[in-house]
Amino acid sequence: MDGMHDLGGREGFGAIRNKDDGEPFHADWEARSFGIIQSSAGAKGWSIDWFRHCRELIEPVDYLSRPYFDQWMTTGAAQMIDEGYLTLDEIRDGASNFDPRPGRPAATVDESRASVANPRSFAMQVAAPPRFATGDFVRCALSGHTGHTRLPGYVRGRRGVVHARHGGHVFPDASARGERRGEHLYTIGFAAADLWPEAKSSRDRVFLDLWESYLEPA
Amino acid sequence: MPSYDSHKLSHIHHELHAVLPSEPALRTKALESLLTEKGLLNAAAIDAWIEMYRDEIGPKRGACVVARAWTDPAFKQRLLADATAAIGEFGFAGHATGHLEAVENTLGVHNLVVCTLCSCYPFSLLGMSPAWYKSNEYRARAVRDPRGVLKEFGVELDDKTEVRVWDSTSERRYLVLPQRPDGVDDWEEAALARLVTRNAMIGTERDLSPKQKGV
Repeated sequence: MDGMHDLGGREGFGAIRNKDDGEPFHADWEARSFGIIQSSAGAKGWSIDWFRHCRELIEPVDYLSRPYFDQWMTTGAAQMIDEGYLTLDEIRDGASNFDPRPGRPAATVDESRASVANPRSFAMQVAAPPRFATGDFVRCALSGHTGHTRLPGYVRGRRGVVHARHGGHVFPDASARGERRGEHLYTIGFAAADLWPEAKSSRDRVFLDLWESYLEPA
Repeated sequence: MPSYDSHKLSHIHHELHAVLPSEPALRTKALESLLTEKGLLNAAAIDAWIEMYRDEIGPKRGACVVARAWTDPAFKQRLLADATAAIGEFGFAGHATGHLEAVENTLGVHNLVVCTLCSCYPFSLLGMSPAWYKSNEYRARAVRDPRGVLKEFGVELDDKTEVRVWDSTSERRYLVLPQRPDGVDDWEEAALARLVTRNAMIGTERDLSPKQKGV
């Protein structure tokens, strides 16, 4: 989707603040939000792609202005409302008016610790051979689509080179719709000069991981 | 089950904006107490996640890996070939490091990592991402004005050095392998690890020499 979240290359943003700050959390509520959302992440039908999409759908002004972990918490609540475990009326009243049956089981301590220690693979077998080889020139699609996608606006229609191939990976655009299928994933290198008018004489490059259906031969 | 319906979620967010308190701390508190009342949370699991990322997992892990790569050429080769397997030797592979790639800084190359679309980060190796990494400013500017961003972080690069920006758009994650500083030839691995900073492993710091850091 052409959302507010697609920030790469947007102009008008100022200096980066608190560059030496490495504190994981800055308030108790931030830590609570993180723990709540991480431990509720395994519900049936949940995927990281659907979660990212639900965050992208936060009102644009809130997306830009509300704190990071606050956006997680709001996104988690929106998902629970969507799934019928929670209602807007309950939030309005500040009180529960029904017990969801069956519940939406949160992860246990053991499951949480196991999940942090598990280098989960997103690799997926794809029957078709990869369409592109390392060194091929490709051009990114000019348009995205209204759902979730990992093709940022700043590379749409731009030409790049296949830097590396990674085999099949879960395709996020489908995963965010509840369909699990793989697609070939590539790292594509773009010359900064091909992306930004002010970088005409630059030798710098930008690399993105992009799925095959985002790309055409160029 | 989720609806997977973008319009429905937009509508819910719109309504949530209206019904939730205007202060972030109060919003979280209101939601947490309601979810607790409805039996949708596991308090012990929430505490476990907080403990892991507040007390247990942080950039010291990545620093150990970098120091090993500086002192053990065979390990460095393994790290550059398959970083997930290489950090697995330390027991650090896990959350968001299932497809890790190490990108090496050299005399002529400087690497910088960003996630323009959200906040992807190699959590089990570097711990919780710093707030600036998740900021709108960094996400917007790192791909377009990396040299300006680096300058704000105190990194000045000449035109002979190529900047490579890695936008984390997939489940693959990036670790910058900084250059081993000069003047530390006889240092032990543990002492070297203390020179390695979180920002250097994201790419917003370059010179890790003890003189630079006032050690």
